[in-house]
Amino acid sequence: MVAPLYTTDSGLLFHAGKILVITIGLPARGKTHISRALERYLRWMGVKTNVVSLGDYRRKTLGGAQKLPSDYFNLGEKSPETIELRKKVSAGCEKLIWNFFKHGQVVIYDANNGTKAARHALAEKFSKEGIHVIMLESMCDNKEIIEANIRSVKISSPDYRGWNPDEAVKDYYRRIEDHEKYYEPVEETTWPYIRILNVGEKIMVNLLALKNLKGYLQSRIVFFLMNIHNRYRTIYFARSGQSLIEHSYKADSDLSPAGWEYAEKLKEFVLERRAKSLEQRGLNPQDRRLVIWTSTRRRSHHTAWPFLQAAQASLTASASTTPTSATTPIPSITPIPSMTPVYEEPSSPIKPPAPLNVKVIEKQQMSEINPGIWDGLTPDSARKYYPQDWERFVKDPYSFRAPRAESYHDLSVRLEPVLIELEREQEDLLIIGHASVIRCLLAYLIGLPASEIPAIEIARGDLLEVVPASYGVHSQAFHFWDGPGRHGDGNSHHSGKDENNFYENYAEDTKGKRKVAAQEPEASISALEAA
Amino acid sequence: MANSFSPPREIAEDLSRAADALEIMQASGDLAPIAATAETGSPSIPPAMFGAGGPMLKRFDESTVQSRKGSRAPTPPPAVKGIGKKVAKPDYSEQKIVVAMVGLPARGKSYLSNKLMIYLKWLEYDVKVFNVGQLRRTRARQKAQQYADDQSCLLDRQLMNPAPRLGIKEDHTAAFFSHDNPDATLNRDKLAEDSLDMLIQWLKEGGNVGIHDATNSTCSRREKIQKRVAKEKGLTLIFLESLCDDPAVIAANVALKVSQGDPDYKDMSPEDAKQDFLKRIREYEKVYETITEPDLSYLRILNVGQAVTMSRINGYLQSRIAFYLMNLHIKPRSIFFSRHGESQYNLEGKIGGDSLLSTRGMQYAKALPALITDNIGDKPLTVWTSTLKRTIQTAQYLSFPKLTWKSLDELDAGVCDAMTYEEIEQAYPDDYANRDEDKFNYRYRGGESYRDVVVRLEPVIMELERQENILIIGHQAILRCLYGYFHHISQADLPYIKIPLHTVIKLTPKAYGCDEERYTLPINAVDTHRPKPKTAQQPTVNSSSKRRYFVEEPKTTE
Repeated sequence: MVAPLYTTDSGLLFHAGKILVITIGLPARGKTHISRALERYLRWMGVKTNVVSLGDYRRKTLGGAQKLPSDYFNLGEKSPETIELRKKVSAGCEKLIWNFFKHGQVVIYDANNGTKAARHALAEKFSKEGIHVIMLESMCDNKEIIEANIRSVKISSPDYRGWNPDEAVKDYYRRIEDHEKYYEPVEETTWPYIRILNVGEKIMVNLLALKNLKGYLQSRIVFFLMNIHNRYRTIYFARSGQSLIEHSYKADSDLSPAGWEYAEKLKEFVLERRAKSLEQRGLNPQDRRLVIWTSTRRRSHHTAWPFLQAAQASLTASASTTPTSATTPIPSITPIPSMTPVYEEPSSPIKPPAPLNVKVIEKQQMSEINPGIWDGLTPDSARKYYPQDWERFVKDPYSFRAPRAESYHDLSVRLEPVLIELEREQEDLLIIGHASVIRCLLAYLIGLPASEIPAIEIARGDLLEVVPASYGVHSQAFHFWDGPGRHGDGNSHHSGKDENNFYENYAEDTKGKRKVAAQEPEASISALEAA
Repeated sequence: MANSFSPPREIAEDLSRAADALEIMQASGDLAPIAATAETGSPSIPPAMFGAGGPMLKRFDESTVQSRKGSRAPTPPPAVKGIGKKVAKPDYSEQKIVVAMVGLPARGKSYLSNKLMIYLKWLEYDVKVFNVGQLRRTRARQKAQQYADDQSCLLDRQLMNPAPRLGIKEDHTAAFFSHDNPDATLNRDKLAEDSLDMLIQWLKEGGNVGIHDATNSTCSRREKIQKRVAKEKGLTLIFLESLCDDPAVIAANVALKVSQGDPDYKDMSPEDAKQDFLKRIREYEKVYETITEPDLSYLRILNVGQAVTMSRINGYLQSRIAFYLMNLHIKPRSIFFSRHGESQYNLEGKIGGDSLLSTRGMQYAKALPALITDNIGDKPLTVWTSTLKRTIQTAQYLSFPKLTWKSLDELDAGVCDAMTYEEIEQAYPDDYANRDEDKFNYRYRGGESYRDVVVRLEPVIMELERQENILIIGHQAILRCLYGYFHHISQADLPYIKIPLHTVIKLTPKAYGCDEERYTLPINAVDTHRPKPKTAQQPTVNSSSKRRYFVEEPKTTE
């Protein structure tokens, strides 16, 4: 079970003890990507985790590459000053690690650690103090990944400020070459090790050295690493449309007329926006499927209905049959194997409209937060009937659990399998969800502390676009719809404040909104770098 | 056609009028019908707004359906009405995996393949183990039978006295497994190939995971498997090697093999059988090659989950398989299940809710510690409860470490929560019959189905596999799902497993299943079990921990 289910007397989770993950790999092999992803996941689980990056430390203490002696990245003959400098840097990192272990549980040491002797000395040192060491090697045999990594991440680093990009790339390759001469891949089995090929494409694990340590956290780490990748993709989030009875969980009601209108607008906007961003990246929308996840709640999967309609229509059109909806078998919206259109090369000389490659999946774990016995109540009556509970709820909307309800924490625990699948998904993904679910998932992706989750603003009518990148994610919000139920706060002509599901949205409505992304339409990019 | 299926304006107005009407009724108190019947213990607690017991939900649905009817939208999804619906199984058709076992005899291969099968089947993947040993024995038996039949026919025709039905007994002693026995080697190769062909055929017919349970102990054999699977489109292959360097575990496996009536050793003394089996192992050891082929995708498990090596693993199901196997262990332990003591709602025949224990329920809570202590002695034990009052109350006198799990909460009956079955039947007779027809797939409106519960319990199963002695104080539907996992009961039968109140069920995992003991405390309680309607057949619980030696034939057990 994940998310802080219980802690031990030592304050460390899962009886796992302290763990030092030493990354190993040539430059531009995705070590940072993997380290940051792992850090994000472990932190989300409640494990105190930090990445200690040698590169960052060096840049911070010594400055960019231009300030370094020319032989700094040359592992060969070095001047005594350079040796001294390098020693200083790694000693500094070690000190950071020790410091963090005073209170933290997991440190990921993000550095090349290319020579056997050096990494063993390091492992010995920490192992002696009772810290479990795991070697995490990242290898790439795919030149494209390396090149893409250099172009997108490395040459934008402060080391190459002011450089001509091509020159910078060349210089970086030179740096790698120097490392290659001395690089020793992990062959030894003294320490448990994990080797990742092409950032998650394949994984090799040897936990034999862990023999007598049933490492749950270690197996979690392995499971997580088995599911990551760095293929370019976009994750979109949108709320479901307004339903007839917004404030009842149990009634599980249909969409309201405004909800249907919203669903239609959402479809148009997502397809347009996605086409645009794929075009910018030079990708063909037809090569890539759009996967849509909804919950099993009607308001959520009905909001995906227009996508299915459009896919069905484009399929009918491309099969060049008469599009009579009366004879077209209508797929059921529940688990929809049949809705994954299968394409045959069109034989007709007239080019049919581009088929829309969409797959909708209902996920049982994605239902909104359960309000328990507060279902259907207005905040006023909840306060009136449950005064003590109400007080605790207002104080701590993250961990308070109303009678028979779920807390946001419970919800996070429930969503853990979804997170793993979210990491795993390679295609563009649209999540049509409930505000509470989107909050939890976004908080994970962006790396927000748990306590802030309930107050994250998720307005109906905004499409959130999240693009995972090496150091975190880029997120952007697009406003595409204004109408009844946008904020659930009285825009609709017949609804009062209680139309809203207050248990789900109380903190957002009251605590000052925690904005995740720019709110202006077609707004500026707020790139969020993980701390 | 972009906008054609958003409801036309007049219907939109209809709907808002309906909503307005509801609001007015609600405000005037017309729509608070449950208040009269629901004595939730506290008079100040307001009624559930949209319970299925009152007219509010019905009226609301009618207004929705009415307005939907007039809709010119070509094909809106079905309107919401009633108290639940059947939900189809998720689509797993894209998953096609061959898992080929590798390992010497008595290294726990069958154990691992069996565990894996049960786990994946519980999650509704279609899994089948193709055990080469079973195929060998079954074929030998058929051959023997055939021969015996032929003989007796012949004898009958010759009008002689019926002879004793003796068949040819194929030699399946260690000599058969010797690498130096070319005939037998050929024979064994053929068996392995046939078994793989059967497996692939089965996958093509819709299976998800086929487990090839054989020794597959040489590189050349594995290469053959790889080539054979590569011929098929859409199949992935992973090898699962089971290594064991613990002599005690091997000895236990050998003893189990000899003592559990392996037909290979039917007419041998246990000592001879053991010697022969050890000899068989030595024959395999002579040629055994652990997996070193760099291109193979494989998992290597040491001592059934103690340590794991894996290589070139990718894919969703593969990663789940790996994670599951990483969490297994075979340390002796017991898992105890108990429902909460009898609750107020049990007495009233109501489902769901969060009521307190009845007087008899409290008696059970008080009697529980002695029963558990008698059983577990001073060994460590952890108690898991749900977040509902009745399980926490039941656990209150136990002096073991306790954890509450939200995932252990009872199946959410949604709009039917706090109603009796009679009330549900009265209010929604059709829907009620629907649920009885297909209980596993039926999801209560605003609530859950048994499948939803299984999905929610998956992390609990993973944690249970990792832990040692655990006592779960849970609820009927929850314990049915967990119990079903340990006893390998089909999903359709899960909702009908009998888990009575005031009874502790002790499961002790063994090599090929779980041993079970039940302790019923002499404290009366109501019976909350609702048998499967119409059909008389109750699920058969195969609580045997014996292994199977023959390929399952239609309707053959053991």
